[in-house]
Amino acid sequence: MKRILVSAMALALGAIPATAQSLEDLNIQIHGYATQGFLYTNQNNMFTTPSSNGSPAWTEAVVNVTAQPAPKLRVGVQARYYLLGNFGNAIILDWAAADYKASDKFGVRVGKVKIPSGLLNETQDIDPSYTWALLPQGNYPITSRNSALADYGGVVYGTLSLGQKMGKLEYRGWGGEFAIPSDDGYWVAFREEGIALTNGINGVSSGTALHWKTPVSGLMVGASYSRTNKSSGAFNDTYVVPAGPSKGITITTPGALVLNGGNEPDFFGRFEKNRLMIAGEWSRSDGSLMLQGLSPVPNGYDVRPWYGMATYKVTGKLTAGVYDTQEVNHQSALGPARYFKDWVVSGRYDFNQFLYAKAEQHLIDGTSTGFDTALNPNGLKPNTKLTVLKMGVSF
Amino acid sequence: MKKLIYAFLIAASASIFIVQVKAQVIVIANNSVKASEVSKNDLKDVFTGASTSLGGGSVVPILLKSGTANEEFLQAYIGKNDTAYRAGWRSLVFSGQATMPKSLDGDTAVVEFVAHNAGAIGYISKATPHEGVKVLAVR
Repeated sequence: MKRILVSAMALALGAIPATAQSLEDLNIQIHGYATQGFLYTNQNNMFTTPSSNGSPAWTEAVVNVTAQPAPKLRVGVQARYYLLGNFGNAIILDWAAADYKASDKFGVRVGKVKIPSGLLNETQDIDPSYTWALLPQGNYPITSRNSALADYGGVVYGTLSLGQKMGKLEYRGWGGEFAIPSDDGYWVAFREEGIALTNGINGVSSGTALHWKTPVSGLMVGASYSRTNKSSGAFNDTYVVPAGPSKGITITTPGALVLNGGNEPDFFGRFEKNRLMIAGEWSRSDGSLMLQGLSPVPNGYDVRPWYGMATYKVTGKLTAGVYDTQEVNHQSALGPARYFKDWVVSGRYDFNQFLYAKAEQHLIDGTSTGFDTALNPNGLKPNTKLTVLKMGVSF
Repeated sequence: MKKLIYAFLIAASASIFIVQVKAQVIVIANNSVKASEVSKNDLKDVFTGASTSLGGGSVVPILLKSGTANEEFLQAYIGKNDTAYRAGWRSLVFSGQATMPKSLDGDTAVVEFVAHNAGAIGYISKATPHEGVKVLAVR
């Protein structure tokens, strides 16, 4: 309810001066895009799809409405239909915000706002904006994307000139309430153990980011730091007795999942020159969680994903790319479930400014991201070759 | 040796062509815009949504929908073709960071709009009559 109120307030803030203006003056714009993906793996099923048989269960459609009731004020809302395997299949609110930009040096955005952490978080769900069909999954896991994308709160932002010899510094600061819904990919492993969150988890998050546009033309380096405070949510643990006189009896145990505070430092850089783009990012996410009611022992995690990527515009319509990404959870037991390594070659063809197609080949080693056991009942094999095809249209 | 000479001549012709192409597009602004010249970097910032000010005042970029002047401007000052350029703007629009700039049908429409809207800044081919607007020199 609080979230609906925040979003409604953000929209109402913009609507007040809008009432006295014509639609032309408001500069109302409607944009959107839709994508359809196809996944095929040589073994192991990925992203809760039957990908080893080939799966088209990856569809997105986005509609965005914005208005500019005053030169420095923008309001907007974006809705999304999202389906990936067993995830989504619902319309969600991407963001709904009012944005007041006093000058290049200072602006503020309130409502449900995108979290500007890392190099690509703000745009990780905007398929038309990048070459890849799948971003590096260690840093930007698609199965738990929605919870990482936006907060109910605000962002302050601006750009400071450091003089002609030092370039420019862009800053972002944010804070608000994060929400990880009960059906988020974050909880896949828990659900498979019979632990189902009642309403997901909400909590307080904050962070800051700096992007330094260096005097070297096309080179940006940056860092961000995100923090989530301690939060908790109720769950029910369901256990079916497998053998003995009580075989088949279901035992349900209520409890509370406690996420202790987590930190995420992130360092990144990007270089663009003519047809070439090179980028890299490293981050670390560490913390712990407890299953109160089931176990007094906290489960720790210390995940350190990174990637290096390059794209080259071969022609005006064709872009080729390659990236290598690795993620290791230093708190996990040794074995393929501890890591995820992926070599990727990709191509994107823009038929025109509205229609595009992507093709991508992944050579994956490890199973820490993107795999579930429910759709892989015979166990996971350590290596997977994944082919992704995607079509998109935007306006 | 002949091949080398031919290659050099082709490269030289191409570079002359590029210089001429650059000179065929001019940047125009509403008379309320204080600046009389603009650096290539600042121009790129304004037309990619990174900045909304120039010479201490607010500016609003106006685009051409298509055409030679559009392609020439984007190649010369933004370093992208039309598809890549608009993909960059869509990234800002869909992440809630900006509103897509107005795109107008032709040079005359751009001149008309820029002349009558404070802070507007656009680009047209040099041959288009442009009374009522100021021309910004690109450094």
